[in-house]
Amino acid sequence: MRTPVRKITTAVTAAAALTAAGQACAEIQIGIAGPMTGPVAQYGDMQFSGARMAIEQINETGGVLGEQLVAVEYDDVCDPKQAVTVANRLVNDGVQFVVGHLCSSSTQPASDIYEDEGVLMVTPASTSPEITERGYELVFRTIGLDSMQGPVAANYLASLKPEKVAIVHDKQQYGEGIATAVRDTLQKQGIEVAMFEGITAGDKDFSSLITKLKQANVDYVYYGGYHPELGLILRQARQADLDATFMGPEGVGNKDINTIAGEAAEGLLVTLPPSFDQKEENQELIKAFRDKGEDPSGPFVLTSYAAVQVIARGIEMVDSTNPFEVADALRKGSFETPIGTIEYDKTGDLESFEFVVYEWHSDGSKTPVNQSSR
Amino acid sequence: MQDLLYFSQQLINGLTIGSAYALIAIGYTMVYGIIGMINFAHGEIYMIGAYTALIAITGLATLGIAWLPAVLIVALICAMIVSSAMGWAVERTAYRPVRGRHRLIPLISAIGMSIFLQNYVHLAQGSRNIGFPALVEGGLQFGSGEGFQMSLSYMQITIFITTVICMTALSLFISRSRIGRACRAVSQDLGMANLLGIDTNRIISATFVIGAALAAVAGLLLGMYYGSVDPLFGFIAGLKAFTAAVLGGIGSIPGAMLGGLILGVAESLTSGYLSGEYKDVVSFGLLILILLFKPTGLLGKPEVEKI
Repeated sequence: MRTPVRKITTAVTAAAALTAAGQACAEIQIGIAGPMTGPVAQYGDMQFSGARMAIEQINETGGVLGEQLVAVEYDDVCDPKQAVTVANRLVNDGVQFVVGHLCSSSTQPASDIYEDEGVLMVTPASTSPEITERGYELVFRTIGLDSMQGPVAANYLASLKPEKVAIVHDKQQYGEGIATAVRDTLQKQGIEVAMFEGITAGDKDFSSLITKLKQANVDYVYYGGYHPELGLILRQARQADLDATFMGPEGVGNKDINTIAGEAAEGLLVTLPPSFDQKEENQELIKAFRDKGEDPSGPFVLTSYAAVQVIARGIEMVDSTNPFEVADALRKGSFETPIGTIEYDKTGDLESFEFVVYEWHSDGSKTPVNQSSR
Repeated sequence: MQDLLYFSQQLINGLTIGSAYALIAIGYTMVYGIIGMINFAHGEIYMIGAYTALIAITGLATLGIAWLPAVLIVALICAMIVSSAMGWAVERTAYRPVRGRHRLIPLISAIGMSIFLQNYVHLAQGSRNIGFPALVEGGLQFGSGEGFQMSLSYMQITIFITTVICMTALSLFISRSRIGRACRAVSQDLGMANLLGIDTNRIISATFVIGAALAAVAGLLLGMYYGSVDPLFGFIAGLKAFTAAVLGGIGSIPGAMLGGLILGVAESLTSGYLSGEYKDVVSFGLLILILLFKPTGLLGKPEVEKI
């Protein structure tokens, strides 16, 4: 009894797959997967707005291979479990190209599914090195790595000649990864790391941690993680009169930290991708964003734009929507994007990507700091 | 001297959080004491209290009212009214229809309610962290010159004083008032209390309302102390407060107070002397140990089998 049933099922599945493929032929679907809701949704907003704009503009100029691109959007809430569900849904929907995910801890499990199911993924925001360390064929980024960002932060800290540095992280893949990179670089330079400690993401009470920082008498604190926690740490540190300068990665650099920390956000140091929206050659594109009433200044808006562009160019290069062929093309080609010329190495990482140190202000603006010592 | 100051600072940090845990824990313990169910939506009531207070504070600020005591009292009253109404409505819609069924049914109903309320606030207020204005600033400093300075902020003092007032008021209410006496009667024997003419439905509603009002106080205090609110922050606080209630002996009001304080201090000393990473390990480890050696909690009475 078993075999016939299985045959029928296979036949039905095959038929369903054919219909799905038939529908997909009319247009090319680009999945956009990231947090639309949840604590880091503001980064998701950047990702969605950048990717949508790219799709719109490519379609205006005739699409790709004469076909229109269609955005299919998915919400992963920056939760690894949801990311897996989203990845499976995306595969089921017959999407072959994904711009996403945003949080490294979501990108990692989702990429396993994409690699197995033959979906090409370009993440515009996940900086954890582990994502591309596994030799996957279909995983790419349009952003740098923690292993590039961490040393930039650490070298800058070292140039300030600190006496004691404390490093705190949120125990998540992104936060702990970048905190470790900072610690290793600092230690190589012979700077004392007085404390290396994890907190729990979602926690709200940091009074014990701050008391400890005060006791250790540190002059700089590096925080690996996102803004909801750092915002509270800054605010509570100010109330407890902790006299130290804080520094964080691009995960803390957005205006929401100001609504949480208020005045306490003044003077925070942040490593960010350079402000692509300030570049001369991007002004026309920036105007298009502003005309739509969207803010192009976030760190992931133009990386997401570039991710769509890279996929579209790849498809054109091989004249096919087979993700494996497109992946080959991406490794060989060189692409002009708003974030500069992109070239990929074998693992799917960018050949080069720059991070810059900014000083954050309590009104949400930022100024690049003088890095003459580097 | 230095070490002593450091220890006292961590103790103060712990007691501050502990008092707030205790305020939330009262809601768990009273409901359990009376109808023997665990109200998992209680953490959400606390979260809604914090949001209501924030909305009230923002509203007053736009009206131009900035006199601190007035702002705090209005925010507190708004939060208590909305949370109490919420606590009452939750009991009416989710628990009363399933009361008296198998124990698991109200439990699942409570979890469902908790998820519903969380998502309701998600939709109504957005999922982002919203900053709470720092209304009570500044504090006292101890310790001299160079070394470690211990600070006791006015916010912490406010939390202690408010908690003490609430707890005293609650104790008096339970021991002296008519409703309080009825509460004790219902918790001893619901059926018998009913036979003696006590409107048990009303008493059970009152329990939910009292618990919710105290949770709202905690919501306002902790919202200001931490500095931000988000729709998920009731869940963790609820879990901690539930632990505190079990630690002190669920069903016992002094137990909830003691449990809250112990939990707060344990957490703070662990992150102060070991590492923040072990905070939850120690507090939940403590819970397991107490349950192993004294299953009724520190101040709980062993359950007498009713024949």
